[in-house]
Parts: sequence; structure tokens; C-alpha cells
Amino acid sequence: MLLAQIIVNGVLLGGLYGLMALGMALVWGVLNIVNLAHGAFVMLGGYIVYYLFTTLGIDPLAALPIAMALMFAFGYLLQYVVLNQIIRSAMLNTLLITFGLDVVLTYLAQLGFSADFRTIAPSYAGANFGLLGITVPVAPLAAFAIAWLLAGLTWLLLNRLPLGRAIRATAQNLVAARLYGVNPRRLYAVTFGIGAALAGASGGLYGMISHLSPYVGAPLTAKAFVIAVIGGLHNPFAVVASGLIIGIAESLAALYVGPTYANVISFGLLVLILVLRPSRALRAA
Amino acid sequence: MNAQVTPLLEISRLNGGYGAVPVLFGVDLVIHPGEIVALVGNNGAGKTTLLRAISRVITASGGMKFDGEDLLPLTPEQVFARRLVQVPEGRQLFGRMTVEENLLMGANRRGNRAAIARSFDWVYGLLPKLAERRRQLAGNMSGGEQQMCAIARALMAEPRLLMIDEMSLGLAPIIVDQLLAILDTIRKQSVAIFLVEQDVFAAFSVADRGYVMETGRIVQTGTAQELSNDESVRAAYLGAEAGA
Repeated sequence: MLLAQIIVNGVLLGGLYGLMALGMALVWGVLNIVNLAHGAFVMLGGYIVYYLFTTLGIDPLAALPIAMALMFAFGYLLQYVVLNQIIRSAMLNTLLITFGLDVVLTYLAQLGFSADFRTIAPSYAGANFGLLGITVPVAPLAAFAIAWLLAGLTWLLLNRLPLGRAIRATAQNLVAARLYGVNPRRLYAVTFGIGAALAGASGGLYGMISHLSPYVGAPLTAKAFVIAVIGGLHNPFAVVASGLIIGIAESLAALYVGPTYANVISFGLLVLILVLRPSRALRAA
Repeated sequence: MNAQVTPLLEISRLNGGYGAVPVLFGVDLVIHPGEIVALVGNNGAGKTTLLRAISRVITASGGMKFDGEDLLPLTPEQVFARRLVQVPEGRQLFGRMTVEENLLMGANRRGNRAAIARSFDWVYGLLPKLAERRRQLAGNMSGGEQQMCAIARALMAEPRLLMIDEMSLGLAPIIVDQLLAILDTIRKQSVAIFLVEQDVFAAFSVADRGYVMETGRIVQTGTAQELSNDESVRAAYLGAEAGA
């Protein structure tokens, strides 16, 4: 029963991890930018929801769309004004600039929000119900459901809407996309905005399940990176599903090895992938 | 066809290139509505560069008007929106998208669903093989089918001028003949065609007029008939013995 409980916990947490990786995979696949500030975007989204809840009393789940809209605008502007300048340059440059962005956002958050741990705690945050002898916590369940919902919406956008078609076309052949009426600068900004919005949503959910601090970003970036490499960059459902793998692996490690070893799993997988399949990590095809 | 008509595309003393490297030197070229015009020349003569300049992908200076409007200040997507559409060298399909999705990208800037549906009917009627393969990934098709798909994608934009770069490259002669016949059909829908080719035989078999380009300059122009009979052209491009 304990094992079943651990797996349920891992699955629910893994859905959220998958959502964190979704935005990163989208941006990586279309813009060829590995956004090292992605975790910082998650952190910012968390704080947006936290403050909407604590100061304006907006329910965290209702605050998620607001956080997504704000993060979309933030991501759009960031890409349009800053990152478009370096998008054609070597990948090292994009890594450097997004790493710098991560540092700046982290310390601005420390300045603005203080280094204290925060938790988004609506009345239902600690609620749970029993199912077949397993305790199902409500907040992670909601996070899990929202992760799949957003993965489904992302899939619909990419595969059923003209905007998504243009996004995929640009990812596959930039030369042809430009000749067929796509403005890459605007399309990149929209895509980066969507990635930031997905990060923002996952941040709000993360703040309900775990703690927010200005420093949560970097380990989440690494986790999202590993999941994106495993899940590939083209199928939102595959990304969320590989989030489940990491979630379950971490929960099992926490039980059988020790809770401090949870992070070892994802970083260990990262090292393993880089050693065994470096080409896959670089192409992430 | 008719020299009195206002030109559709009018290029005068056009210079252009890649960054600081000039490739085009004072190019003059005119295309009238409904015409098929061929641009021939060896590899590296600057033909593809000229198409890139027209599509506004690279920098250029000089005169370049489409239907009276100055093309130089436009962006590639604005040129596309004017229905001046390029089928780029090497087809450049969206390989992991279906044939139908590729065609929809051609209709990218059009909003009228009924008109898009009519374009689909027209294009599939013209190229029935594509209709059979509409659910297939474009990247998995043969070279000839990919070239058909690339032309069909451009037709979905309802082009007024269709520019095709190296259509025959890497294709079997029988496929090239099929494609040339299709171009002849397309032109009857009052679509002007600018055919950029190394295969001079193929180009002059359908073109009304032609230009010969060498090292970034237009060195000769005339009707397709005149050029195919011209001795220097025959010697340089048609593999005929000089003086034969």
C-alpha cells in the first residue's frame, strides 16, 4: 500500500513537472533556445499567483489564467526586444544570455519578494480524500489535471490552429516559412510568450504544492531540461508523460534511498543522458 | 506576350548580394502579366540571388516594382501578401507536415475559407497525385511529388507571379515534362511565371521570353525562340557545337 501511495504521489507531482517542461520544450523546439531562465519564469509565475491570492484574495486556481497572461506578455516582450537580437547566433550565446537572465530574475525576486519561503495556501491546499486505501491530495491532483489540460490545449494549438501550423512550419523550415508569409520575429515572440505562460501556470501550481523562494528556479530548469530531453520537443503529451517518469522515480528514491536524494535522480538521469546519448540531448529530437 | 501592357514586375539596374559581397550588378528584367519568362545561366551566375532579392530576403538597391509598387521597402511576408510567390530551390517543404498542411501554409495569409476550398479543388485537380497523398508527410514523398507539392503550396497563395527556382533539378526528364505541362495550364489562369533554370532546354520549351545571366549580369535577352537559335547560347548552354 505504501508503494501504491508513493507511486500516486509521484504521478501527481510528475504531471506538474511535465507542465514545467512543456514550455521549455516548445521554446527549445521552435526557437532552438534552451532557456536557462525557464525555472525563474516558473518562480515568477508562482509569486504572481501568491500575491494575487494574498493581497487581492483571488483563488489560486482562478489566478492561474491571470498569471499566464502576465507571463505571456513578459515572454513576448523579452523575446521581441532582447532575445530576437541573438537568435541567429551560436547556441552558446543564447545559453549565456538566458543564464544571465536567470541570475537577474532570481536576485530581483530576492529584492522584491525577500528570501523568505512562501506557500500558496488556499483552504483546500491540505485537503485530501481516500480512494481504495490510498490518500489522494487535492492540490496535486488539481495540478495534475491542469497539466494534462494545458498539454491538450498546447497540442490543439500546434496541430489544429493556423498559428500552431505556422509555429511548426517555422521550426521545420525557417527559409520557407519566411517566403510563405510568416514574420519570424513576431512568431518567435508569440512562441516564447506561450512558453513563459506555461511556466507561469506551473509556478502557481508549484507554489500550492511546495514552497516558493527566489531560488527555486535553477533546479526546476534542470528538471525541465531532463524531461524535455526524454520526452522530445514535438509532442506535448510525451513531455508531460516523461514528467511522470521523473516524478515517480523521485518519489521512489525519496522512499527507498532518502528524501534528500530526490534531486539526485533527475540530475543523475541528466548526467546519464549526456554521457550515453549526448547527441539526443543536443538535438532533443 | 504584349509589350504594351504595364509590366507586372519591373527590375532596373538592380544590385544586390549577401552582406558586403555583391552578386548582382545592374540587372534589368521585365515580366508582363500572363507571361512565362525564363532566366537561364550557369550555377553561381546569381539566379537564385536575384529571386532572393525579389522576395526581399537579402539586401538590394536599384529599381524593383511589382504592379507599380516599389518592392524594396517591403519585408518577405509583405511581398508574399502581394501574391508574388516563390517556389524556392530545393523545394523547402515542411517535411514533418502533411501535404495538406503544406498547402494550407500556402494559404497562410488568406482568410476566406470558401476561396481556400476552391483553391484546394483547383490544385488537386491540377495535381491529382497530391490529392491521393494529402495525408502523407511531405518529407516522405519522392522528389517529383515533393516538387509538385512545392508548386501546389505556392498556387494556394493565388499568385499573380509565380517564381520557380530550379524546378527540374534532380528530377527525371519525364517528370520535368509533366511539370512543364502543368505550368502551361497554370499560365492560362493568368498567372505569370518566372522560371529560373539551369536546364535551358526545359526552360525554353515553355517560356515566351528569356534572359541569360552570367556572373550577376544579364548578358542576353530575347524570345525563347531567338535565344534557342542563338549560336552563343547554343554553344554555352545547349551543348551544341559552336558554329553548328
